[in-house]
Amino acid sequence: MPATQKRAPRGGNKSPSAASAPEERQIDKDLYTRMFRMMALMRAVDDRMVSMYRQGEMLGSVYSGNWHEAIAVGTAAALRPSDFLAPLHRDMGAHLWRGTEPREVIASFLGKATGPTGGRDGTLHYGRLDLNIYNPPSHIPDNYPVATGAAFAFKYRGQDGVALAYCGDGSTSRGDFHEALNDAAVLKLPCIFVIENNQYSYSTPLKLTTASADLASKAAAYGMPGERVDGIDVLAVHDATSRAVARARAGEGPSLIEAVTMRMHGHAEHDPADYVPREMLADWAKRDPVEEFAATLTDLGVLDEEGVKTIKEEVHQVALDARKQALADPLPDPGTVEEGVYAD
Amino acid sequence: MQTKNGQVTYLDAVTQALQSEMRANPDVFLIGEDVGQFGGAFKVTKGFLDEFGPMRVVDTPIAESGFTGLAAGAALCGLRPVVEFQFADFISCAFDQIINVVARHHYRTGDAMPIVFRCPFGARLRAGPTHSQSIEAYFAHVPGLKLVAPATPQDAAGLLVGSIRDNNPVLYLESKYLYRRIKVPGPLSTEPMPLGVAKVVRPGTRVSLITYSAGVHQGLEAAAELDSEGISVEVVDVRTLVPLDLETIASSVRKTSRAVVLHEDARRLGYGAEIAAEIGEQCFWSLDHPVVRVAAKNTPIPTSPPLEDAVLPGTAELIETLRTVATT
Repeated sequence: MPATQKRAPRGGNKSPSAASAPEERQIDKDLYTRMFRMMALMRAVDDRMVSMYRQGEMLGSVYSGNWHEAIAVGTAAALRPSDFLAPLHRDMGAHLWRGTEPREVIASFLGKATGPTGGRDGTLHYGRLDLNIYNPPSHIPDNYPVATGAAFAFKYRGQDGVALAYCGDGSTSRGDFHEALNDAAVLKLPCIFVIENNQYSYSTPLKLTTASADLASKAAAYGMPGERVDGIDVLAVHDATSRAVARARAGEGPSLIEAVTMRMHGHAEHDPADYVPREMLADWAKRDPVEEFAATLTDLGVLDEEGVKTIKEEVHQVALDARKQALADPLPDPGTVEEGVYAD
Repeated sequence: MQTKNGQVTYLDAVTQALQSEMRANPDVFLIGEDVGQFGGAFKVTKGFLDEFGPMRVVDTPIAESGFTGLAAGAALCGLRPVVEFQFADFISCAFDQIINVVARHHYRTGDAMPIVFRCPFGARLRAGPTHSQSIEAYFAHVPGLKLVAPATPQDAAGLLVGSIRDNNPVLYLESKYLYRRIKVPGPLSTEPMPLGVAKVVRPGTRVSLITYSAGVHQGLEAAAELDSEGISVEVVDVRTLVPLDLETIASSVRKTSRAVVLHEDARRLGYGAEIAAEIGEQCFWSLDHPVVRVAAKNTPIPTSPPLEDAVLPGTAELIETLRTVATT
């Protein structure tokens, strides 16, 4: 297992730009341990849900966030709880970081009354406004303009809050991506746009999505900083996000971050992804973000091997319990189906 | 906001209501294209930038989807955005955000998303196929949205204030044809009017004309004409398309036993189809004649005057239809 957090992503990608190279970091043992636990928890819950899908327990498909843990947690950990998050379907770690329970996530995929939407919406569409998390629709990146609105509200009230939105490489083709970045730049909003470049949008490879050499460079078109970062390296993601947060809080406007990773499963579990070259997957399989961070933490003396093992066992149990609870949770009452179309 | 002789136009009413709400509630802000330094394409927000500043009167790039999504996010964070589409026609650029982000957000999450979308709409200004559209049918179909279409300056003011205070997304359809054509003595009240209340604007006995927005004035003209023939027309101004005040409509039709529905939108699946269907279901045993629709032809709105006039429902056609329905 390579402990090479500074290594470039593979799979035909260029190295992250020099801007994302590690800098002098203050080692924060408590923060790093919590980040590692959250990445391991995301992995454990995600893997549990994949096995639930295979057992036929889920309503629909499951959209694995494997190899996206460093991005979800690295970004969320750089924010305050009062900052606004607009995640998408492979960002479970950001929800968990804020306090969404694994049981709620699984309940969402089961259409249970205990899911964040009570079964009104479901599967990957969850998000708790009480935790300052937006619940996005299927149309991505519709969450990008919504995040600019949250950023606008912070600025409107003279607060130094920040809004952060995620999308994939595929989303960069849509008008909402362009409009959100342009609006945020023109209005100088405290907004951070994260592109999770995982090489595929459903079956479409990056080269059929963009003719650009990379996605971070699109920032130049809007007059904002763009940074390409190794999406496997949680500390690199955390650093890049922290830089963008500092700019946003200082009133210097939005930033774009391209975090490079790989989608290790199909678009969802129903998709065998046989369009992905096996050697590409094999290459990226050597760069597991959870294992790389574990190795980093042992190198840094934050955790020992026993500590890593204890956390993994603990989150494994949390995932098992969450499945059990969510399966036992009640379904919503069909008598309520017409309630809530309108607010009072 | 009043003209020299104390008269207030429909456009003044929109301005006055908006200004009153922005003065009363610091969370209300206006966003759209050319709304600030230019004062809006129709000058509804002239002077607003000076009074309220650039954070509350926000000029945006040409990005209807982008600023609609921005309004959605701001509304989730407790602000009260008023979005101006320069012409209602351009709302199609924001269709996805309105349908998938805005309309169903409360149902999906239980969290309110109060936004007013100001939509100057309708024809008769020789503005052609992409500047004259009626957009109500697309959106009235979608659960989670409310639609308001005032016909008079007082309703324009009261319903705009009511819409801004509503906790739901509201499409506020402003008749740009009426903007400067309708004048009433001022000052207007800026007290909020409730959404979902229709109004009998001319009582009658022989036939009910159900309509909204500019159609109300055409209907009143036709009713006055028919009155001289001894045909008494009751004109009902729907005022709010969603929620629809079926009780007022049905009670009028049960009284007169005949109904004509008028609008400027194309006939096929226009909002009149819904009104006619509801009347058919609710008033069948009271009807002495099939419900008849008077609407635009199923074509785009052409630009050239004789072509546009040929497409839109004319007053002569309306009078003829009302006469036939009333006397058959």
